[in-house]
Amino acid sequence: MFRWMLAGMFMCGCLAANAQMDAQQLLKKIDELYRSDSATATLQMHISTPNWQRTLELQSWSQGLDDTFIRVLSPKKDRGVATLKIANDMWNFFPKINKVIKVPPSMMMGSWMGSDFTNDDLVREVSLVEQYSVTLTENESLFVLQLLPKQSTVTVWGKVEVEILKENLLPTQQRYYNEQGQLMRTMVFDEIKDFSGRLLPARMTMIPHNKTGHKTVVEYTQLKFDVPFQQDIFSLSHLQSRFQ
Amino acid sequence: MLIFKLAVRNVLRNRRRSLLTIISMGGGYFLLSIMTAMSEGSYNNMIDLFTRDHTGHAQVHMGNYLQRPSLYKTIPKPDGIIKQIQAIPKVMSVAPRIYAPSLAYGDNKSVPANVIAIDPDAEANTSLLKQKLKQGTYLKNGQVDGGYFPVMVGAGIAQTLQLKLQDELVLISQGIDGSIANDVFIVIGFVGNESSFERGNVYMSLAAMQSFINAQQQIHELAIRLQNPNQAQSFANEFQQKLAASVQTENLNVAPWQVIESSFFNSMQADKKGNYVSMGIIIFIVAIGVLNTVLMGTLERTHEFGVLRAIGTRPMGIARLILLESLLLALCSCVLGGLLAWPVNLWMAEVGITMPEAIDMGGILFDKLLGEVSWFSMGMPALVVIGSTLFVSIYPAVRAARISPLAALQDH
Repeated sequence: MFRWMLAGMFMCGCLAANAQMDAQQLLKKIDELYRSDSATATLQMHISTPNWQRTLELQSWSQGLDDTFIRVLSPKKDRGVATLKIANDMWNFFPKINKVIKVPPSMMMGSWMGSDFTNDDLVREVSLVEQYSVTLTENESLFVLQLLPKQSTVTVWGKVEVEILKENLLPTQQRYYNEQGQLMRTMVFDEIKDFSGRLLPARMTMIPHNKTGHKTVVEYTQLKFDVPFQQDIFSLSHLQSRFQ
Repeated sequence: MLIFKLAVRNVLRNRRRSLLTIISMGGGYFLLSIMTAMSEGSYNNMIDLFTRDHTGHAQVHMGNYLQRPSLYKTIPKPDGIIKQIQAIPKVMSVAPRIYAPSLAYGDNKSVPANVIAIDPDAEANTSLLKQKLKQGTYLKNGQVDGGYFPVMVGAGIAQTLQLKLQDELVLISQGIDGSIANDVFIVIGFVGNESSFERGNVYMSLAAMQSFINAQQQIHELAIRLQNPNQAQSFANEFQQKLAASVQTENLNVAPWQVIESSFFNSMQADKKGNYVSMGIIIFIVAIGVLNTVLMGTLERTHEFGVLRAIGTRPMGIARLILLESLLLALCSCVLGGLLAWPVNLWMAEVGITMPEAIDMGGILFDKLLGEVSWFSMGMPALVVIGSTLFVSIYPAVRAARISPLAALQDH
C-alpha cells in the first residue's frame, strides 16, 4: 500500500515536471520567435491616437536579446532618427540637432517615438524564460501560458498571459496585467507569413486599455535571420554616423 | 428759506464748536479719501501691470484649455477669428500664441523650457515683451543665416545654459503629430531678468513653431488687449455670445483676466475686503464724533428749542433745522477735507510711495503705493461723511423735536 502511494506520488511529480518542461519550452519558443543570433528587419509602425495618426517606416538590426539598433526611414522629417539599445542602456540619436540622448531610467515607461510601445518594451526585451515563472493551461485550440514575475525581476507587470495556437505553436495574443490584476494592454499577433523559412505572425497590434482610441500596429515587411552584418553596428559611434 | 438762514446763523453762533466738528469730520473725509485713493490707485496700477505684462485683458482658447492645457487643444485657422476680434472697436490688439513645453540643451546641461510661439509685431502691441528685451534684437519672422530660426531666451535659461548671442540652442519637444520635435535655433536676444515671468521661456515666431512641432495653421491662445481693463468682463461676455452663435467657433471660450489670473484676482478681492473693514471703522469713529457734537449741541440748546416751540415752531421744523445744521457742517468739512486730500492724492498718483519691500501678488512684484484722483476717491468719502452725519443727527433731531416747551423752559 505504502509502496503504491510512493509510486503514485513519484508519477505525479514526473507528470508535473513534464508539464513544466512543456511550458518552459513553449515560452522559450516565444522568446526566440523573432530573434536569432542575428536578424534584420524592415517594418512599418502605424500609430493612431484620437489626436493624430502617423506611419513610421523602420529598419532594425538585432543580435541575440541584448543588442538592437533601429533607424527611422520615413517620414522624411524623421529620417535618420535612430535608437540604440545595448543590454539595459538605451540612446536616441537625432540627426537634425546632431545629438545623442540617453534615455534616463525615469523615461523608460515613456512612449517610444510616440507609439504605444514604451522604451522599456524595447530595452527589456528580456528572456521570458529567465525572468518569469510559468504555468501552463490549455483548452481545445490554445495553450495559455501564465507568467508571474520572479522575485528578482524588475517589471511593472503583475502578470503576463500568452495565448499560443496549438496548431502552429505561434502566439495569438499577449495580455499584460498590472499588480492589481487589471488588464492594462493587449498585443494581438496575426497575418502569419513565411520569412526566410520561418512562419511568423507578420502583424502585431498593441492596444493599451487605459487610453481610449490609442493603437499601434507593427507590420514586418521583411525579416531575415542570420544575415552577416558589420560588428560595429551596435556602437555609439555608429549611432552618430550620418545617414543619407 | 427762513430755516436755512436760522441754520447758518446757528452754525456761526458757536464758531469754536462748529470749527471743531468741521475739523473732526474733515479729518474723517481726508482719511477715507486717501485710503480709497491708495487702494484704488495701487490696484489699478497692479491690474494694469499684470494684464499688460503678458496676460492681456482677455484670452480665447479651445474648450477647457485654460483649466487643462493640452498640446492638441488648438484653435484651427485662427486668421478669421483674429480679424473678427480686431473689428471690435474697444480691442486695441490681438496676439496669437502657441505653447510647447520643451527641453533646452546647452553644451552639457539641459533645462525644461516653456517654448512660446508669437507673432512678434502683434505681441509687441499686446504685452510688454518688447520692452523687456535686455540684450540683442527683438524677435522677427523668418530665418537667420544658415536656415535656422531665431529665438529669444528668458534670463533663467540663458543663465543656466550659459548662452551668448548667436549661440545655437537645441530644443526637443513633442510634435503635434506624435513625432519627436527637435531642432536647432539661433539665440538673437535675451528677455526679462531672473525673477520675471519670462525667466524660463523661449520665444520663437509662429512659422518656426509650426515647423518645429509640425503644426498646421493652429494656435493655443489669443491674447487680447482692450482700451481699458474694466472692459474685460463685458467684452468676454459679448464675444462669447458671438462665438457661440457660429458652428465653427462654438467650442471656443473667452475668458477675462479675472478668470485667467484668478489667484491674483481673488487675493486682490480679499485684500480689498480687508480695506473695506478698516474704512468702516474710520467711518464709525467719525460718525461717533459727529453724534457727540450734534447731541451736545442740542442738549445745550434745550432752552432755545423750548422757546422756538413756545412761539409756534412745529416739531418737524426743529428737526429739519438740526438736520440742516448738520448738513451744513458736513458740507463744510467735505470742502475742507477735499482741499487737504486733493493735493495729497494728486501727488500720490503722480509720484507715489516706494515701499521698502515689494509685495508679490501672483508672481508679479509691486513696489509702489499709488494714489488716484477720481470721482470714486473724492466723491465716495463725501457721500459717506454726509450720509453718516445725517444718519447720526436723526436721533438728536427727533429728541429736540419732542421737547415739551413747558419742561424745557422750566429747566432754567
